[in-house]
Amino acid sequence: MARFAMIMDTRRCIGCHSCTVACKVNNGLPLDMIYNPVFTSGPTGVFPHVSMTFYPLLCMHCKNPPCVGCCPSGASRQEADGIVWVDQNTCIGCKACIQACPYRARHQNAETGTVQKCDFCKERVREGLEAFCVETCHQRARIFGDLDDPGSAVSQMVNGMNTLQLLPEIGTDPQVYYIVSPGGQG
Amino acid sequence: MKEEHNWGWPIASYLFLGGLGGGMIVVAGFADLAFGRGEPFSLGSLLAGIAVAIGSALLIFELGRPFRFWRVLSREKAIMTAGAWLLSFTIFTSFAYFSFWPDFSPWRQLVGLRHFASGINIVLGLGVCIYTGILLGSLRARAFWNTPILPVLFLVSGISTGVAAQSLLAGSWPCHGTAGDLGAVHAALRSCDLALVVFELIIVFVYVGMMRFSAGPVTARIAAQWLTGPKKWPFWGGLVGLGLALPGTLYGLSSAAGGETAPILVLIGGVVLRFLVVYSDERVRLPGESEYYARLPGPDAPFLKAWE
Repeated sequence: MARFAMIMDTRRCIGCHSCTVACKVNNGLPLDMIYNPVFTSGPTGVFPHVSMTFYPLLCMHCKNPPCVGCCPSGASRQEADGIVWVDQNTCIGCKACIQACPYRARHQNAETGTVQKCDFCKERVREGLEAFCVETCHQRARIFGDLDDPGSAVSQMVNGMNTLQLLPEIGTDPQVYYIVSPGGQG
Repeated sequence: MKEEHNWGWPIASYLFLGGLGGGMIVVAGFADLAFGRGEPFSLGSLLAGIAVAIGSALLIFELGRPFRFWRVLSREKAIMTAGAWLLSFTIFTSFAYFSFWPDFSPWRQLVGLRHFASGINIVLGLGVCIYTGILLGSLRARAFWNTPILPVLFLVSGISTGVAAQSLLAGSWPCHGTAGDLGAVHAALRSCDLALVVFELIIVFVYVGMMRFSAGPVTARIAAQWLTGPKKWPFWGGLVGLGLALPGTLYGLSSAAGGETAPILVLIGGVVLRFLVVYSDERVRLPGESEYYARLPGPDAPFLKAWE
């Protein structure tokens, strides 16, 4: 069984926001909805010792997702391959999952009333294609793969390098890992 | 694009109405079972059911898809599902308990069954008061809610507002009590609510104090908003002053004076508490998050209409 994860190599990210655009356009998101923003942290420090880091975001597809446990309708689900998604037909828009998410990864669609989120482009990745944000990243800062496959780039990097998870203290065990440059903050 | 409060006034109003209704049927149940004095609280039980029903209607109104609300009952593992079942049963049993009291009630004489209904009402009423605190308190993403004191605060506030409402209603139709009887009932309710108000005041200061001094940056910031920042008027004036300290003083000063003022103030305090809590739902921000969303254009940005 696959166990999908993503690595954000912030050493490579140049903050061009192409992934945000590719996701919005290809997934047909409403104007006010962004699944995968790119945050800019910094610049910090005092010249000449300054640094700035870009943090590309998306749903963390947590191993222990609080948004699934609180869903009263059963619309919010976690698949065996780790992908967390919302069944649009079942969701009633109670927003419990939005309140439960520490990463602001869930958004209510003003038109349908349901809650939407990044699903790792699950139809694409299960066919072996890349998610739109990964495909469009010309710097190869977003690296997607299967943690259960020892030969995959994500498996080798998560196991062999210093990676960070966002807000690990909340206990969600995010499956999006960040490589932060030694000079950057993190 | 500022992060909006995902849950707003309908949820805050529901939290008040649910706690109120739950508290009212707990009072009626205890009075009936422990003291054999259920009758003065019969109208209160009817209104408790109506309060919970209005609260539940607000919850449904607040959904993104209100006409699919019944799906909230479908996933037994979620706290919200348990709460939805609790509310449904509570509305029913509150009305059922009331139905034992009017003169035209065919089952007015079935005291055993009524006592059974009282017991059920106590359990369900406590459940309605507590589960909302667990629902909010279990969200680790919302640091100011994520504390076990929240269900306790909601419980004490719910029971306190329930006692206050029942003391306003005690003796109304369909009760047949004499004025002398009701004097004792009112005195008992006043001393009961005095204890609850004092206890709630302590819980409020323990809660805000803990958040102010011992926890992370978000909790400290929200606690400071309550104590000295933009929420200081609702907190000091609305909740602590009008809602707890003043009615507590009125209850304590004299058994007769204060009359209906103190219970009404307690109800106001219950509303203010729920609004303060619901609007304190801030998350810990990720690096650069606030700046990013502050730069995004709003729905009225001129470029959106430039090509029309």
